[in-house]
Amino acid sequence: MKTVCKFATLTLMMLAITMCSFAQKMNAPKPDTTTQNLVRGVIGPAGSNSSWADYSVFNLVPGSALYPITSSTTVFYFGYTGGTEADIGNMVVYTTARGGLTITAVTPVKLGGISNPSIMLGNTSVCPVAPSQTTPCIVRFDPTTLTLSPANDYYFAVFYTNDSNNSGISGTQPGTSQTSLSGTYLGGTDYTHLTVGQSIPSVTTRSPSFLMYVMNN
Amino acid sequence: MKTIFKIATLTLMIFAVSGYGFSAAKAENLERGIIGPVGSNVSWSGYSVIAQVPGAGLIPVTSTTTVFYLGFTAGAQADVSNMVLYTTARGSSTITAVTPITLGNISNPMIDLASATVCPVVEISTFNPCIVRLDPTKITLSALSDYYLVVYFTASDSNNNAIGLTAPQFQQSSLRGSYESGDETRLSVGGSIPSSLSFSNQPYCLMYVMTD
Repeated sequence: MKTVCKFATLTLMMLAITMCSFAQKMNAPKPDTTTQNLVRGVIGPAGSNSSWADYSVFNLVPGSALYPITSSTTVFYFGYTGGTEADIGNMVVYTTARGGLTITAVTPVKLGGISNPSIMLGNTSVCPVAPSQTTPCIVRFDPTTLTLSPANDYYFAVFYTNDSNNSGISGTQPGTSQTSLSGTYLGGTDYTHLTVGQSIPSVTTRSPSFLMYVMNN
Repeated sequence: MKTIFKIATLTLMIFAVSGYGFSAAKAENLERGIIGPVGSNVSWSGYSVIAQVPGAGLIPVTSTTTVFYLGFTAGAQADVSNMVLYTTARGSSTITAVTPITLGNISNPMIDLASATVCPVVEISTFNPCIVRLDPTKITLSALSDYYLVVYFTASDSNNNAIGLTAPQFQQSSLRGSYESGDETRLSVGGSIPSSLSFSNQPYCLMYVMTD
């Protein structure tokens, strides 16, 4: 009996040590506890583009450019360069196969727990400095429980309600193409209610509007 | 006694299963690949497509294997005569190594683009490009080297006249590329990447370079 116990203990010890070595291998790169980029974001000061009432804004986060960081959450950051209030009708992330346009999943995106927030850009608790091209107001959306995969592309779609507040807002629009992000926008239709099997309505043809960073936190 | 054996066996099973889970590899980008949807460029019979994988653009992921993904937008069958990977010192044109590239263990595959097992969406297009994963190559990419993937599409071949290759629309990828008439897959160590080639544009066909 004692021999069996000794043997079992020895086996367990050996396995524990082996597991530690497995875990160390797995942890290179290390678990990401700090805030890190999941993709190359907008670099340096950005330009500006104004008047967004009744526009759907699409920003592409390409799987082919993802950094090798595993994160169970994805956080999007929008940049505002003008206005006092941004009224969002709805926000979602569409997943497609990499390079494809057919939607395979739809994930809601929220701010303060809701998908149709009014962002008070004139409030110093939201924007410590009044938004401008030189001091954009960076708004962090709620973390989505989305693990980005290099095998997919992701389209972050935001619809700005057709109202006077949104006619007065401006968003960041970088002039260079150093970021891995790209975007497009479509007026007159709310494209944030597409479903699985439908298609992204347009390829991204320009630098990203509003979307500045995609991070793990 | 039996109970102890049962517990020991169960523990072993749990550890074994956990070990497999931990050791499962995840495909990661080795280089910033082609971004988003693509355009198309057709008729490739007798052409070599040359894609540059620059050491300067490598993402710091260590992998003992490198996997190339090719993109097709039209055609029923692509007839490849040969595929190789040339290594040069970073920024140099002199070839220091030649590595065969294979699909299904052969360097001259006929890729059946009409087969649903090869291209899940049979009607391939720019909208739904067919991404073909070549066999993993046992090469560890180094930031000190540049790499050139060359695919030669058989000449005087009606299949290749009809194929379309992916053509990137944005300039954001770290991959560069060019193409040339004739077979450029037979160069050897000491030879040079043809000086006539310009790598100012992104590559046709090569979409991604990954760990798996």
